[in-house]
Amino acid sequence: MTKPPRRVPAALDIYVDHDRCVGNAMCLTLAPGVFAHNARRQSEVVDPEGDAIADIIVAAENCPTAAILLSDAATGEPYEV
Amino acid sequence: MSTQAVLTDDLFAPEVIADPYTYFGALREIEPVHRNDRFGLWLVTGYEELVWILRHHELFSSAVIRHVEAPPYPPVDAADLPLFDEIRDFRANQLVEQDRPEHLHQRGVVHGYFTPKAMERWRPFVRSAVAELLDGVHAKGSMDVLTELAAPLPVRIIAEMMGVPYEDRDRLRAMADGILYINRGEPYRLRPLARAVRGIVDYASPLVRERIVDPGTDFISVLAEGENRGVFDRRQVLVNTGLLLFAGHETTMNLICNGLLAFIRNPEQWERLRADPKGMARLATEECLRYDPPVKSTQRIAAEDVEIAGRTIRKGESLRWIMAAANRDPAVFSDPDTFDIGRQPNPHLSFGSGIHYCLGATLARVEGQEVFRGLAERFSRFELATDRIEYQPSLQFRSVKSLPVRWPA
Repeated sequence: MTKPPRRVPAALDIYVDHDRCVGNAMCLTLAPGVFAHNARRQSEVVDPEGDAIADIIVAAENCPTAAILLSDAATGEPYEV
Repeated sequence: MSTQAVLTDDLFAPEVIADPYTYFGALREIEPVHRNDRFGLWLVTGYEELVWILRHHELFSSAVIRHVEAPPYPPVDAADLPLFDEIRDFRANQLVEQDRPEHLHQRGVVHGYFTPKAMERWRPFVRSAVAELLDGVHAKGSMDVLTELAAPLPVRIIAEMMGVPYEDRDRLRAMADGILYINRGEPYRLRPLARAVRGIVDYASPLVRERIVDPGTDFISVLAEGENRGVFDRRQVLVNTGLLLFAGHETTMNLICNGLLAFIRNPEQWERLRADPKGMARLATEECLRYDPPVKSTQRIAAEDVEIAGRTIRKGESLRWIMAAANRDPAVFSDPDTFDIGRQPNPHLSFGSGIHYCLGATLARVEGQEVFRGLAERFSRFELATDRIEYQPSLQFRSVKSLPVRWPA
């Protein structure tokens, strides 16, 4: 079934699930202004506005373990990639 | 305590190949980072140590095949040794053997093809391939799981991903079977392996030439696009086509065989899966991956002197990280030697960790989930049709030589 096009939120809340994050670090390449490694070399959000929204969405899509969870900062509604 | 006093140093000893868990589990308790002089290897068995190593890729090179000069082991026919260099050159060009920055550029080309969302779209195809294979054997009352389910399934899926024409499937299957000799012990094994490697180059070359000018949505087109962008040369495109055929085949085979064997030996877990095949398939597959992982261990080379767990690994020395042992580290997993398909969380290391985390992990998961679900929906129980399970003599892979089973009509 085709879903209706979704509106991309104007601002995103970004959460990295550390039970899932394996430190693949693709997000650090795709959205380097937002994500950085912590001491365990898992991804952390250092600046939620550090990159364009489109880049953050691409980073979340490319997480191999789907550890990056996004939601609309205004409504709190999950934004599934 | 000296490990030599209590444990063999022969990593190919029959009892170590048959049961790596007892041996590497004992090593983990005695010395989670251990020097094996006989094979010139550091063996890393502790969970935390292993994760640390995998997340510090700059300290541990993946360019193993290029740098390790050791002759093939188990030994091969001397007359075949020239083939070893040819096969080494092929394998050394694979994505998995690269370090940054090249690894990042190359992975960047193929990474998007394998995202969780993209692989989820393959589930209906996987499910129908599983159904077709199981429908084909159901009335027989017995099968060799390896040759009749676990080996053909991933090749069908890879063939579809590569976009090879239907009439070429048998040819691809023959090449896929030939590449499996990477993991075997027969003295003649380099011959079928070299034939398969040349076969892939011959077979894929015209496919790549077509896709360079007229790309589609298949995986070879993704690699060809990488060549168009200057990331891969032609040789690397062909080599990585071969990598997909091997990496997606051997590992999935082992997941299916080792998983079903665990279910046969733990009938109460099989009944648990049967009670809710769809609902339990995801967690059950993770536990199969943890409990008896398709890949037992992988190698790295220290890029500089590194101190870990009180030992100093010198630059240039080889290490093997044994995920089969780390997956049973009691510091992380309760009752680690128990096969428990409800286990959650289950942070096993069967796909590795860090920048080299298995590219095909989601595909393997989808395949495992659909196989275990399909089996549990169709069959009330399996029993082994042999009293002896034999494994290939490999440090890297946990591969049964066959898995004959039968079931009541």
